[in-house]
Amino acid sequence: MKIAVAVFPGSNCERDTFNVLKHNLRIDTDLIWHKESNLNNYDAVILPGGFTYGDYLRGGVIAAFSPIMKQVKKMAEKGKPVLGICNGFQTLVEAGLLPGALMSNISLKFICKWTKLRVENNRTAFTNICMKNSILNMPVAHQQGRFFIKNENLKHLIDHNQIVLTYVNNKGETSNDINPNGSIMNIAGISNEEGNVMGLMPHPERASEPALSPLRSADGLFIFKSMLNYLKKA
Amino acid sequence: MITNPDQQLGLTKKEKTTLRKRLDREPNALEWAMVDAQWSEHCSYKSSKPVLSQLPTKAKHVLLGPGYDAGVVDVGDGYIVTFHIESHNHPSAIDPYGGSATGIGGVVRDILSLGTRPIALLDSLHFGDIKTSSNSRWLFKNVVKGIADYGNCIGVPTVGGEVGFDKCFEKNILVDVVCVGLGKKEDLVLGEAKYSGDTVILMGGSTGRDGIHGVTFASKVLSDESESERSAVQIPNPFLKKLIIEATLEAVNTGYVRGLKDLGGGGLTCGISEIAEKGKNGIDIEISKIPLREDNMTPIETLISESQERMLFVIKQGHEKDIQKIFDKYELSYAKIGIVKNNDKVTIKDGKIIIASLPVETIVNAPIINRSVKIPNYLNKLRKLEPPNEPTDFTKILSKLLSSLTLASKRWVYKQYDHEVGIKTVVKPGQSGAAVLKLDNGKFLAIKVDGNPKHCYLDPYNGAAGGLAEASRNIISVGGQPLAMVDHCQFGDPNNSEVFWTFSEAVHGMADYCKALNLPCVGGKVSFYNEDTGTNTAIKPSPIVSVIGLIDKLSHIRTMELKEHGDIIIELGITKPEMGGSEYYEYIHNFTGGSVPKVNFITESKMQILTLELIKKGLVNSVNDCSKGGLAIALVEMSILGEKGINIDLNNVISECHRIDDVLFSESHSRMIISTNKNHVNKILDLARNYDVPCSIIGTVKNKDISINMNKKEIISLTSSDISKVWSDVIPKCMGEVN
Amino acid sequence: MGKKLLTGLNQYTVNIIIENKPLIRDPEGETILRDLIIKNGVTEVTKVKTAKLLKLEVNAKDKENAKKIMEDMCNDLRIFNPVVSICKITVSSDS
Repeated sequence: MKIAVAVFPGSNCERDTFNVLKHNLRIDTDLIWHKESNLNNYDAVILPGGFTYGDYLRGGVIAAFSPIMKQVKKMAEKGKPVLGICNGFQTLVEAGLLPGALMSNISLKFICKWTKLRVENNRTAFTNICMKNSILNMPVAHQQGRFFIKNENLKHLIDHNQIVLTYVNNKGETSNDINPNGSIMNIAGISNEEGNVMGLMPHPERASEPALSPLRSADGLFIFKSMLNYLKKA
Repeated sequence: MITNPDQQLGLTKKEKTTLRKRLDREPNALEWAMVDAQWSEHCSYKSSKPVLSQLPTKAKHVLLGPGYDAGVVDVGDGYIVTFHIESHNHPSAIDPYGGSATGIGGVVRDILSLGTRPIALLDSLHFGDIKTSSNSRWLFKNVVKGIADYGNCIGVPTVGGEVGFDKCFEKNILVDVVCVGLGKKEDLVLGEAKYSGDTVILMGGSTGRDGIHGVTFASKVLSDESESERSAVQIPNPFLKKLIIEATLEAVNTGYVRGLKDLGGGGLTCGISEIAEKGKNGIDIEISKIPLREDNMTPIETLISESQERMLFVIKQGHEKDIQKIFDKYELSYAKIGIVKNNDKVTIKDGKIIIASLPVETIVNAPIINRSVKIPNYLNKLRKLEPPNEPTDFTKILSKLLSSLTLASKRWVYKQYDHEVGIKTVVKPGQSGAAVLKLDNGKFLAIKVDGNPKHCYLDPYNGAAGGLAEASRNIISVGGQPLAMVDHCQFGDPNNSEVFWTFSEAVHGMADYCKALNLPCVGGKVSFYNEDTGTNTAIKPSPIVSVIGLIDKLSHIRTMELKEHGDIIIELGITKPEMGGSEYYEYIHNFTGGSVPKVNFITESKMQILTLELIKKGLVNSVNDCSKGGLAIALVEMSILGEKGINIDLNNVISECHRIDDVLFSESHSRMIISTNKNHVNKILDLARNYDVPCSIIGTVKNKDISINMNKKEIISLTSSDISKVWSDVIPKCMGEVN
Repeated sequence: MGKKLLTGLNQYTVNIIIENKPLIRDPEGETILRDLIIKNGVTEVTKVKTAKLLKLEVNAKDKENAKKIMEDMCNDLRIFNPVVSICKITVSSDS
């Protein structure tokens, strides 16, 4: 099993993601420069967080045209797991692999804080070992994380179970003041219809070690371990 | 043909004479400009070198001290930590967003130029009163945004800092930034051109007219004309910086980079002179090879330009292509601009013509200026003032004090900073006295930046020594052994002998602290001229310091939030009536005067050693040091963060005070608050006796209410949640936002 | 003539464009040009500058008056930082 972590000019979280996969989970992982045009040897690809191209014009838009994205699209079509974290999520949206748009946070400010997420759909490539409605602790750090989608497309999203993670409070309830960015329906992460492509604003790689988490949890591992589980079954 | 623009040379008549004498001829226009840049206060430290030489710089674990781009400390197992402080006060005052952002760019470059990866940033910011001044609010908002946007974009977490407020900073804000880097000893690269024949490559941004006279700008006092000095404004480009970080680290990894230097103040002139001097060689630079961004730039403009994001690489002869391949991967522009020569000159050529030739020693060694000192008149008067009247309603006073800007929650600031990137941040902003990062060798690094201009104004010696004591106590409070410090001395016009006296005293205080506590200084900066011509007022003396410490194990890390209901609260140290410069006097009574807390080095040392030992023996649950706001604020902070209440008996506080407000709010040094399980109390008291540290049980942790009692009467009664809201809302409310 | 209002004033549409001074860098514009536009084949484009656009509706006696009000506002309220940026104000009568 081999995982590719894409690296674009301006990516910041590729080493963090790589370290969690390679050292915490002992999975064969490679950092792949964006000009690479061959991902055939890889079983899954992760687009990490960061500020590709300085987030100029819009987060993820310039990266969406990178040579590696053709390969990422192919992998998505083949049903391989494709994960976009934060800036990676923005890139998947700009590349048309996921619907909707990620706009500036309602507060207009960058926000870095730990959030609680509820698993709405536990049948995706990245949530299949989670219990439905379980709560995961993960941090967000973004300025353009407000997921938005037109009403008619939102209906499609709901009908096809594509809402994967939502922001909730300590009691597991959704509420506007818990939502760090004002996203529609408190959405933190979505998938494509097939469930093999997922994008989320929170950072699972930052929630993979108890010492680094305020609640001493390591819930980010659920995302990566689900991916391994999906691959084993495939 | 060298043109001579309207040069605003900062050189004095005496300096011009000295240069002529050293060269034994009249320098040409280009040579004048180069020396003008290098001999500016900002680049040469000509006023401050004699004073700074008091600071101890050596220790077993210090690999590199002051005089290089950053200090280097050995943290064991083949790993090194690099450490530096920078500021961008003047640019930030007129363009707060760009000025603060490029300040981050500057300090990160210093860390990078030693071949280490920047792993954390901290900032120490000082503004005027944002409650009443819209200009201060504008500066505050944009400085924070500038730091956030830049730091977040380059993926370096901002993990801590402080924000101070005082009317003296209304026109002259302070924007200090600290950067810490991590690397392996074998990858350490110095800023030196050591091998003759090596190639000098300029990489990164192109050279334009940005910041021309930037160093002289920092060496001049701000006046109304400053707003029009547009060429001193620098535009941040964090995306380019990010590419430079990755390319530089990859290049260093090849082993062919033999010298590395970032270009900051004084541009190419200072960069090439300094690497030549450190490498004990000369350098030939071909001016036509320098990539220019604007048309018709003169050699003078080219050599003193402060265009951002430029690095100088000294590459092992014959291996230029290995390095260029990496620059090409990141699509960074670069040019071979020179060669290291086996002589002692900096030679600038234009084709075959030599357009400047200066001995390295001449450029780099600006004549020292011995400034005169005079004790300011105001000091004696202020120290002798009658103290304000003692209040009666302490609950009201404490609530009010918690809404002082300096003490209020800074969450509004740090939630704009990505403090998690890099997955190293164990103790996060706002969580405790210092930030803690996980290092690659299994150890942990504690970092803190601190300073107390209010104390320094009334007593620069104790104020500065006290700043170091406070920063060190914060390191101790998270379980860290202080390893090294960097300092940034920010004062007014050094030509003013009273200002220079405060500078000398402050450095003297820091030097004495460092010698007594074995804390080496591994770097620092001096910024003079933080003064406003309109009102002829200098800022309060502001030596800002940053201390790093090492923690061996995860289990030795502590934070300040109170943990368990029923825990016992113990205070170490003695509270003295030293109210001068306290938040209480300044904010509640609007009173500047009295005597400032003195640092007793022996007492401080014993208390620090004891606290660390208690932590390592597993005898404490939470720790907080007493500093700004005194005992009362230290207790309230622990209570708010732990969402717990406390019951305190002031009669048990060991003190020399006669007034209740003195006990509550004095900022005496060498004090810690500890909470612990009742089973450990006797052991703690025993150890304290052994170390001869005053120690007393002052209260217990309870449910929700804060209750402070004196002579069996409750004098302060608050609920933890109410006070938490007051404390959290101060800054958002000021900025017109809801929390 | 702008839309006439009951008060006797006219309503004007004002565009305020805030961009970096000509000689000052625009890293965002440069990156968009180089990494998005040129790299993806639209080589006809030779320059990109980014700017912020504010669209306002303003009631005033006439165009000159509207422009003066806007100029004063931009300076007094720090709509732009004159150290870094320039401000172009265009007043039109179409509502």
